[in-house]
Order: sequence, then structure tokens, then C-alpha cells
Amino acid sequence: MVGRHMSIRLEVHGDTLCVDGVKELSAANANAFRDQIRVALTNSLRNIEIDLSAATFLDSCGLGALISLHKTACGRSGLVRLINPAAPVQQILELTRMHRIFEIVRA
Amino acid sequence: MSELPAQPTRGSSLRLSLACELGEVRPALSIVRAFLTDQGVGEREAAQCQLALAEACNNAIQYARSGERHQPIGIVVTCDDTQIELRTEDHTPGFEWRESVTLPPPDSEGGRGLFLIRSLMGQVTYLRGPSANCLVMRRRRDRALPSSPRERGGTVEELQRRLEEERHIVTAMAEELSSCYESLSAIFRYGAESDRSADFSEFPRRLLHDLLHITGAEWYVMRLLPEGESRLTVFAASEPGLLLEPLVIPESVDPASPLEVIAAVRRQDAWFDPPGLLPPQDPLALARPGSIGLVHPVFFGETVVGTLTVGSSPGKTSLTAAKVSVIHTFADFLAIQLVNARYRQERLNGLLVGRELEIARHIQRSLLIKTLPQLPGVSLAGYCESARQVGGDFYDVIKLSDTSVLLMISDVMGKGIPAAMFAVILRCLVRALRTQAPRPARLLAQVNQLLFDELSEVEMFITAQLAFVDLASRRMVVASAGHCPLLITTAGGTGYRVISPEGMPLGVLVDAEYKEETVPLERDARVLLYTDGITDAENANGEVIGQELLMEWLKQGSLDGRSAEQMREDLVAELRQCQGNQVLNDDQTFLILAG
Repeated sequence: MVGRHMSIRLEVHGDTLCVDGVKELSAANANAFRDQIRVALTNSLRNIEIDLSAATFLDSCGLGALISLHKTACGRSGLVRLINPAAPVQQILELTRMHRIFEIVRA
Repeated sequence: MSELPAQPTRGSSLRLSLACELGEVRPALSIVRAFLTDQGVGEREAAQCQLALAEACNNAIQYARSGERHQPIGIVVTCDDTQIELRTEDHTPGFEWRESVTLPPPDSEGGRGLFLIRSLMGQVTYLRGPSANCLVMRRRRDRALPSSPRERGGTVEELQRRLEEERHIVTAMAEELSSCYESLSAIFRYGAESDRSADFSEFPRRLLHDLLHITGAEWYVMRLLPEGESRLTVFAASEPGLLLEPLVIPESVDPASPLEVIAAVRRQDAWFDPPGLLPPQDPLALARPGSIGLVHPVFFGETVVGTLTVGSSPGKTSLTAAKVSVIHTFADFLAIQLVNARYRQERLNGLLVGRELEIARHIQRSLLIKTLPQLPGVSLAGYCESARQVGGDFYDVIKLSDTSVLLMISDVMGKGIPAAMFAVILRCLVRALRTQAPRPARLLAQVNQLLFDELSEVEMFITAQLAFVDLASRRMVVASAGHCPLLITTAGGTGYRVISPEGMPLGVLVDAEYKEETVPLERDARVLLYTDGITDAENANGEVIGQELLMEWLKQGSLDGRSAEQMREDLVAELRQCQGNQVLNDDQTFLILAG
């Protein structure tokens, strides 16, 4: 499972890269996830929008990947927006106070 | 990974052994999750145990050195009526266990694993040994349940447990829904109100007061960054003690900068939770020591237009994601309202200024003498064009007798109604003191004394020039209050004189003294009184007319025998050509006498 291909979908809307289909962000796939998004983040993109509605598991490595992307976005005066995280994921974001870093949107 | 038969202890146990690889962790966790569910552990609790175990396994695998990777990691899960115990065993060098674990800085990408374990599991013990380490994590079950699967099912306890689970979820959803509802309804209400409200300052206060109510926070400070300024100024605060001094936004910030400035410059929320994140000298820390909260930069489009700080005493409220979202929504909404209000105010100011200018223009126009007096043997012509709607320039011609006249030209430094008012007063004073006209210097000194207090009070001054023309003796007496020189041709237009008697502008020195100069007025002489808008007039190439060019033109007029009226038309045509399509940027006024 290490380094397995992430089945995420990427779309560009204006200056935002939209990421969809994230099922989990764990130690096993966090780096691959981060790298896949970084590669897709062309110079004209500055915001990253990640749909977490289908994500059932998020651990500290997954958080690390999100923070790393947050730093990349900030470097471009952009931001990371997390869309509709499910209750267990939202709890972890709040427990680690990550809701202070990311914009969490209910859509 | 191999699943070992569960060894019955008190309650039920699950033993797993997995290879030291990150990819092995998730499948193992799925088995643990199924086991816990089978033991009647609720969704939320099982998810939390799963995460704690994931962090423990990841930690063990990441700490393992290459020589130790062949050794498996053991997991033992024990579950009884009251407690869940998770145990991992690894063969890594281990790590120094700390009894208290805090969160790393927000931008740190790692270091949250132990914090999560600590937070999710009630009791955690780390046993470090020479060849193996054991991490034991225990938590009390949310609700005591029968341990045997046979006894579970549709029992009352089971239903109660499920009810409890659902209650958690419903409470969380209700909180979020109510936040959304409250912010939406508040926004609709305020949106309708702000259109009607004449006093805009009251409306944001009410909105922010409601924000405190919704979020459970105790205080707020809203600062604005006015357009073109670099100071964050308090616009509204929940209590007088928070009406803090303005904060200057520097070129760059450092950690010692006030948190509101940091949030505005970095364009990111800045949290002060725990309170230690607020530097001791921060204005917020001084005003509300020991508070927790956040500073949110307020945007209008891409522009930071201010900051909104919301705070409370520790333990009073917890700013959850839903509440933070409400703060953001309120701030966005407020920003739109504030900017709209600013536009409305500017439009209103524009109308007021327009009205003021109209009045002032009316006053000024009424000053200009409609028909210039006729005198035997000389012709007179004047011109006055204001750069803006109203300028401070005017001229006057006061007939004193059949053979004498007083010429006056003046430039009031200022604009709008005040300048126009002083022009009126000056004109009236000079007309009232017309008997002094043969001694124009004395007249200026008197006018200066009469106007001095009023002028200096509003920090205005006036330049003026008086020329007493006596045709009986063919001479002129000239006095000046800091005005441009008077130009006069001599010897039938072949020579000229620049007359510039000494004198300070009116309103500068209370006892100012004025000199006079008496000049013969030859036949065919041309006299020009003007304001600096004439000599400073620039053509499209940026060249000014200047005094010399003006003098040459005046001489030519004398040589050609052109009347004052004709010369006025010539000069106006010249000025218009200079101006081209540009907007006039200074008043242009002159008075011509053809002798």
C-alpha cells in the first residue's frame, strides 16, 4: 500500500486547485497525496480546495501533509480550504486546533 | 500480518502482529475497528481508539532503524465492560517519554502523534526496555455495556448507548446549524437595517454584540485600516477599556509586533490561545490580561480593510470551527457594509462640496464688476477665469472722479467659501476706504490691520495690488501687498518698466508697511495688472509664458495701438492656446489699461 496511487480527482477553477475523492489521509499515503497536489499546482494556482466529505480517516501524518500544502499556498498568498469534513475528521481538526489554520467550509 | 487467537482475559482480547511497514497499519486498524464494534463499542469511540492506535504504530515504524525492520509490531486490544486497553509492542530504540505533551507550533508539519494519543486515551504508559518497548493506552468506555456479544443486540442498554452516540452527533450538528442560522438571520436583519440606518456606527456595534452572544466570547475590538493609511484605528469595541490607541503598520513584522498588526500584515488569523501567545506588551494583553481568542484580518475583496479580535477568559468558551466560521462570515459581511457606507459618505461629501463650490462661485461672480467705468482718453478691459469652480482671484475698478480711477487686482490664498468670503470683504473694505485711494500704500496698511485677525485665524493671506490712476496729472501711484509686479510700457512701446513696490501680503504681519511708487502714464502706454496664473501658464511642451514674453506682447500692443479690449482678446486667445485640452490648474486674472 505504500506509495500506492491516490485515486483523487483534481480540477482547476480560476486560481484554485480543487481536490476531490480523498478517502483517507494517513501515514501510508500522506506524502504521496502532498506530492501529487504539489505537482499539479502550476504557477497560476494559489488556493487549494480539498473536499473531505468522503474522508473517513485522518491521522497526524495526514495533518502534516495538509499543513505542508497550507505553507505552499501561503507562499503564493493563497489558502487551503477544507470542504465538508465528516464528523470524525472535523473532531481531529478541532482537537489539534487546525481549524485555526485552515478555512473550513460547509457547502 | 497475522491474527493470533484472542486470549481470554477479563473481557475479550485481540492480538495482532504486523510487519514494520506503514502500509500494514491501516489493514490492522480495520481488524481492530471490527473487533471493537463487535464488542459493542460505539462509532465515535471506536474511531478515536483506531486513531490512537494508528499514531502508536506509525510512531513505532518511523522510529525503527533499518536493522530492526524485520521485527514485527505487536498489538493487543482488550475490551471489557468498563475499559478499552490498546497495547503496542515494538523493537525500536524507543524515545524519551514526557508526561505532558503539548501541541507543536501551528505550522509544524509533525509532532502531533503523542498529543493525539494523550488526548484520545485517558491513561497512557510507556515502558521502555532494552530490546522492546511497550505503549499501553487505556480509556474508560463511554458507557458500561455487557461484554458478551450474546447479551447485546436489541437490549435497552444497547439502544441507550446508540441513543447516546446519536445525541453526540445531533448536538454537534445542531450547534453548527444554529451558528449558520444565527449568522444568516443576523445578516439579513442587519442588511435591511443598514440601508435605513442614518447612523452607521451603531449598526456594526449591534452586529458585533450579537457575534459575542453567538460565539460565547466576552469581548471584541474592531479596527479599520482607512484607505491610503497605514494605521489600524479602533472603530468599535465591546467596552471603553478596549478603545485602544491606533497601531502603525510597519514595513515588516516580527513576533514582538502587536498581534493585530501581525494578522493584518500576514493576512491570516492570529490566535492567542493559550494566552502566552500574546506578547506581554501587546495592547490586547495589557487591556485584557490572560484572555484567549483570535484576531481575524477583515478583507474586502483582496484588500485588508481592518481586523476583528474576539476574546474571552480561558475556559469561558471554545472557539470551534463552526464558531470561527461565524466570525469569518460576520467579518466579511461587515466589511462589505463598511465599504458601502464609505462610498455613500463620499458621494454625500461630493454633493456637499459641489453645493459649496456653487455658492462660492456665485459669490465670486458677483464681485466682478459688470461694466468697467469709462474714462476720457483711456480704455480698460479685464478677464478672470477660475481653475476650479472657485478661485481666489478677482479684480475691481473703482471710479473716483471723471479723471481718476483705482485699479485693484487680488489673489486670496485658499479655496471654497472662505476664500470667496474674504474676497468680498476685501472688495468692500477697499471700496469703503476709497477716499484714501490717492495713497494706496496707506490704504493697504489699513486694510491689512482690519483683516489681520480674521485672516490669521484661518491661516489665510491675500496678495493685492492697487494702482491709483490720475489722468489729470497723467500719473499712477502703485502699491503692492506681495503681489506680482505691474507692467507698463514707456516711450511709445519701445521701453517698459516693472513696478513692484515693497509690501507683505495682507494677513501676514499686523503692522506691515507698504511702499508706493509713482509712475508717469505716457500717451500710448499699456498697463497690465495680473495674477501669477498668467505668467505661470504652461503650453503643451511645459513652457511658461513668463514675464518677459508678457512684456514683449504688451510693447507690441502699444506699438500697434491696440485697444484694451483687443489686447484682452489677444491674451485670452494666447492663454487658451497654451492650455490646449488640459484642465486649467491655476486661476488666470488680468486687467489692462490702454492710455
